[in-house]
Amino acid sequence: MSHEYVPEIATDRDGNQHEVQGWQDDFYGGKLGFWLFMLTEVMMFGAMFLALAYYNALHPQDFLDASASLNRLLGGTNTVILLVSALTMGLGLLKIRSGDVKGAKLMIWATIILAVAFLVIKGFEWRAEYNHGIFLMHDQLLPESSLPFGQKLFFGLYFSMTGLHGVHIIIGIGLMIWLLKRINAGKVSPEHHILHWNIALYWDIVHLIWVFVFPYYYMIGAGGATGGH
Amino acid sequence: MDTKTINYQEEKKVYYKVLVGLLLLTAVTFIQPHYFMQGSTFLAQMLIAVVKAWLILIYYMHLKGEKLITAMVWFSLFLVTVFFVIVIGIDVPNFQYEAESHITAPQAH
Repeated sequence: MSHEYVPEIATDRDGNQHEVQGWQDDFYGGKLGFWLFMLTEVMMFGAMFLALAYYNALHPQDFLDASASLNRLLGGTNTVILLVSALTMGLGLLKIRSGDVKGAKLMIWATIILAVAFLVIKGFEWRAEYNHGIFLMHDQLLPESSLPFGQKLFFGLYFSMTGLHGVHIIIGIGLMIWLLKRINAGKVSPEHHILHWNIALYWDIVHLIWVFVFPYYYMIGAGGATGGH
Repeated sequence: MDTKTINYQEEKKVYYKVLVGLLLLTAVTFIQPHYFMQGSTFLAQMLIAVVKAWLILIYYMHLKGEKLITAMVWFSLFLVTVFFVIVIGIDVPNFQYEAESHITAPQAH
């Protein structure tokens, strides 16, 4: 299927023909549209954070106890991995804008590897929690278990939010592979890099969400029994 | 923002500086519960997260110099804040449905 751009022609009252401005090179429009999409992401995760804060306000001590039991080493490692991946993604965009297509592709591959590492670590973490009986619809999170009610709410939201975040990571990997294909096909180039720009923005918002997910789940209970809450 | 012309070396320096800043703030996240603001860990952690988010938005997401998009972001943050104030600031302190609630402890039933 051809994607050749066919210009639209408008004729004025005097019969003169004018080419209608196409949207293909509308860099700002493409960027603005993507920001609107990202605001819907903020709405989605914002609602989840609101639910989290609501339950937290009703069960403050249970939330601190549950948070204290999470593996901060693995969570912190993932935080650093995402942080570095945001750098590699940004450098990739810089490279393509400066004409270094090969360098840009290398940086995208580096980002993909870091994203996979994030998922592998998250998988180990979830498996350890599952082995301790803590997982959605499983053992300690079942209604009849003796785990304090607030902790059940905490872990329910923990798996939901980190799971949804993980889905975003998987989508990001898919987008980056698609981006590599578009670069190889010459559709994304130093002159036309809006797709690369927007996928880098997507990766940044995935990182941004984690910047709040990590301290809320892993760190609030790090201060001991009272957690300074 | 002009995206066609680029000073690669200059912009790369900014990326690395921001990386160092974010790594330092991540380190602060880990030491905070043991060294300062121990009476308000939650507040301290969220403040650090806000600073990190600001760095990411301004430098990695290129909001610097973007007036319209920055206004959109501020507006959405304002809306989020309004909902948080209503729910956490007003609704939770006046929670009065323990007896029939599914979000409070079963023993309250």
